[in-house]
Amino acid sequence: MIVLKWLFLTISPCDAAEPWQLGFQDAATPIMQGIIDLHHDIFFFLILILVFVLWILVRALWHFHYKENAIPQRIVHGTTIEILWTIFPSLILMFIAIPSFALLYSMDEVVVDPAITIKAIGHQWYWTYEYSDYNSSDEQSLTFDSYMIPEEDLELGQLRLLEVDNRVVVPAKTHLRIIVTSADVLHSWAVPSLGVKCDAVPGRLNQISILVQREGVYYGQCSEICGTNHAFMPIVVEAVSRKDYGSWVSNQLIPQTGEA
Amino acid sequence: MAGHKIAHATLKGPSVVKELVIGLALGLAAGGLWKMHHWNEQRKTRTFYDLLDKDEISVVVAE
Repeated sequence: MIVLKWLFLTISPCDAAEPWQLGFQDAATPIMQGIIDLHHDIFFFLILILVFVLWILVRALWHFHYKENAIPQRIVHGTTIEILWTIFPSLILMFIAIPSFALLYSMDEVVVDPAITIKAIGHQWYWTYEYSDYNSSDEQSLTFDSYMIPEEDLELGQLRLLEVDNRVVVPAKTHLRIIVTSADVLHSWAVPSLGVKCDAVPGRLNQISILVQREGVYYGQCSEICGTNHAFMPIVVEAVSRKDYGSWVSNQLIPQTGEA
Repeated sequence: MAGHKIAHATLKGPSVVKELVIGLALGLAAGGLWKMHHWNEQRKTRTFYDLLDKDEISVVVAE
């Protein structure tokens, strides 16, 4: 019980940008967890080098202060130290490159058989989402636009510049394929807690695979300058249980079949 | 090697090797602290997902 209370006090899912935020948002996909782990691996070497260099700098200033050491020595060569300060950085680079390439190639792996394919189409200045796996009787796929909720229409507790009228509802713990494109200028479909950023290029289909590991609401923003309202076309992904997702799809399709 | 001790008119001068070793030790210690923080975060994340999978906790508010 104490452990649970400790967990709740220290882990509050951060799936949207927060004021004065320093670190990453909490990961909700294996890709994002991999990115955070790689960052931690590199940060270890960063701290090691920073502390080492600061120590040498401070000690050099201490030992060779003009009052302590009036006559400076002119050292020209030092073969051993020159070899060492070439080999050690190369080793560090190798230790950084190995997990980096491992993550890069794992991110590029395409899921062969995703359960659902969703198209995200960028417009000036909103997103359109198409769930073409479900066609109603007149072959119209489930399609809707997603506009930002303006500040004056926000309800208490909603996030400024991040909320939308229609969220992208997806099932959690399910392999998804998102196809990103644009109908006009360049946009970018980005959701930090899912570890996703994919350019929306007119005339091109870009594909990403994601697996959302927990239910929740994940916020992102357009990440490629696209005009005057570039900052006002956010993305909200809502991951729900498979049962709730099935109900949502049915509810979305019913009015369309009713109109047919 | 010329760089082992920095020559000085009256004093023995600092030892380059000693300073490098101390610097490396401090760097590794600081890096080690960061690694401990990283492993702790990983453990908390793993525990969170284990409890979530076992349905002992939930991220969905009960209506």
